[in-house]
Amino acid sequence: MREDLVYLYNGNFNSLLDLIYRLLNLKNKPLDICDKEKYRPSLLEEVVELELNDHFDINKLNLSSNIIKTIYYVYLSEEEHKELIIYYFLLNALKYREKIFTMRNLKCVSSTLKIAKYVSGESHKLKGFLRFKEINNHVLYAEISPTNHVLELLSYHFTKRLKNEYWIIKDVGRNMYSIYDTKRYYIVSGKNINLKEINTSENEEEIENLWLSFFKTIGIKSRENKRCQMNFMPKKYWKYMIEMEGVYEKSNHE
Amino acid sequence: MTLEEKLTILADSAKYDASCSSSGSTRKNDGGIGNAATSGICHSFASDGRCISLLKILMTNCCIFDCKYCINRKSNNVKRAIFTPEEICTITMNFYRRNYIEGLFLSSGIIKSPDYTMELLIKTIKLLRYKYHFHGYIHCKAIPGASEHLLKELGSLVDRLSANIELPTDNGLKLLAPNKDNNKVIKIMSYIKENRNTSYVPAGQSTQMIIGATKETDLNIMNKSESLYKSYDLKRVFYSAYIPVNKDKLLPSLNTPPLKRENRLYQADWLLRFYGFKVHDLLDEDNPNFNILVDPKANWALRHLNEFPKEINTASYYDLLKVPGIGIKSAQRIVACRKNFKITYSDLKKMGIVLKRAKYFITCNGKYFISSEYFKKSFIEANLILEDNEKIENRKEQLSLF
Repeated sequence: MREDLVYLYNGNFNSLLDLIYRLLNLKNKPLDICDKEKYRPSLLEEVVELELNDHFDINKLNLSSNIIKTIYYVYLSEEEHKELIIYYFLLNALKYREKIFTMRNLKCVSSTLKIAKYVSGESHKLKGFLRFKEINNHVLYAEISPTNHVLELLSYHFTKRLKNEYWIIKDVGRNMYSIYDTKRYYIVSGKNINLKEINTSENEEEIENLWLSFFKTIGIKSRENKRCQMNFMPKKYWKYMIEMEGVYEKSNHE
Repeated sequence: MTLEEKLTILADSAKYDASCSSSGSTRKNDGGIGNAATSGICHSFASDGRCISLLKILMTNCCIFDCKYCINRKSNNVKRAIFTPEEICTITMNFYRRNYIEGLFLSSGIIKSPDYTMELLIKTIKLLRYKYHFHGYIHCKAIPGASEHLLKELGSLVDRLSANIELPTDNGLKLLAPNKDNNKVIKIMSYIKENRNTSYVPAGQSTQMIIGATKETDLNIMNKSESLYKSYDLKRVFYSAYIPVNKDKLLPSLNTPPLKRENRLYQADWLLRFYGFKVHDLLDEDNPNFNILVDPKANWALRHLNEFPKEINTASYYDLLKVPGIGIKSAQRIVACRKNFKITYSDLKKMGIVLKRAKYFITCNGKYFISSEYFKKSFIEANLILEDNEKIENRKEQLSLF
């Protein structure tokens, strides 16, 4: 079996799993696995592009939801060679099943669990740090710029929490939108959407000022600890948080 | 008075309550807005580094009581304000929709009578739950001395209901809070404990003690906590370093709040709840206060060095928990992993176990991290203190960058 081939997939989770499923069945070890949109050809690498199913049935893998969730989180990361990490994790998961989570002496397992934790951690943080503002008098609109691709995870959270509201979350860095219409959310690329008509609602400033007053008041002066504040709330999130954006802009101009 | 002025006054007078947790409830969004997150969610962090999860406010800072330490005491000349139930709902709903907060933490000064105050709190929460269909997290303070039927009603509307014990001993309370009756607080705690279920105070109760306003030792305080956890199934006891907001001859005049002491008490509190320690393991009549230089667990380990080093591959779960630097997650991970393979030092690293402090107290396959002749109290103690001080030094440098 050749182990020097680079395999391409269609840039979605299901086609990646379809590919890995076939490679595992063929007992083919890939040199690398790449998103075909992002792959840059190299003279030294031989590329294979199979016809993959974008709606691959995950149940075919016959793995627990815990394992699927873990690799999905890795898939949402920006880790280099994350596809290969997933491949090796699944290779071992088929052998060890649930026990895989305690096989941390294997590099692919410790990497996988570390990355998955990083992604779920960022998603959890943004469940708190994300800020909506009301636009056009009834729609809630938020901008984020996360390191990992957590838009889907956040959408799932706000679908339950704000189920009777219309909301839009924009991932600024990836130019992706999640749009919720009180029934379901749609994740779309910014290329296919025109959101010129964003007007902040009339009393929005009043409510933002209430929040700013509350935020300023609730800190105890004699316990001030800006370092602790920054440890818990890393600077990279400040830009889109109304209570921190002033500090963020100031520190960028100094 | 504008809504913003009111909010400033009533958040300012609520900020000394340490509790902010929004965890432990599984309330679902039942066709309205909001749900609880079992793990709790922090939405922001204030300039003092404390998490902001809930809109923490008083309904009013008017009070018929005159507790010496409290900024809202009757005899203080401060601006007073009162929210109407509608105003509280407006702020809560607008903040929640924009994802500023995880819910509401409502407390109040006592106006007219405990029952009257409780009825107003209930009216507010009912409005929020039934008119605005709010299913997010609510923590409400129970007013000591209020009737049982009001406790019953309020508890069925909120996720957490609590009453503050305020001071670790009855004498302290008599001295500083002459209007507060310890028995009334205990009565609330017992009632909540007896009645708690999935629809009555599902996230449980907590309480708070002020540290450093009276002369109690850490031993007094921890004994109180231990008995509170045991008797009333409390989820948390919060410790709040005393901050002088009033001048009174009965109160100590401190320049800075005793934050390090507060930190030690929290560390010890975790040891009681999750690590199988008892108060008498940590403190006794001869050593009634925690060591400010070394954390309680490391201090215990240094005094029981004959029980160390623990072998990572064979020590029991509870023995692993006794190792400074090894927490619950690490101990669980070690126990689960070593069934599959013999753990080496490089495995520990891959497993995400931090060895910075732990390395002095463990062996891995019989090997100590350096020559075993260094395994003695003086060496370990000096290194632990050195590491902590380095941390403080680094902090100073980084702080000066601002």
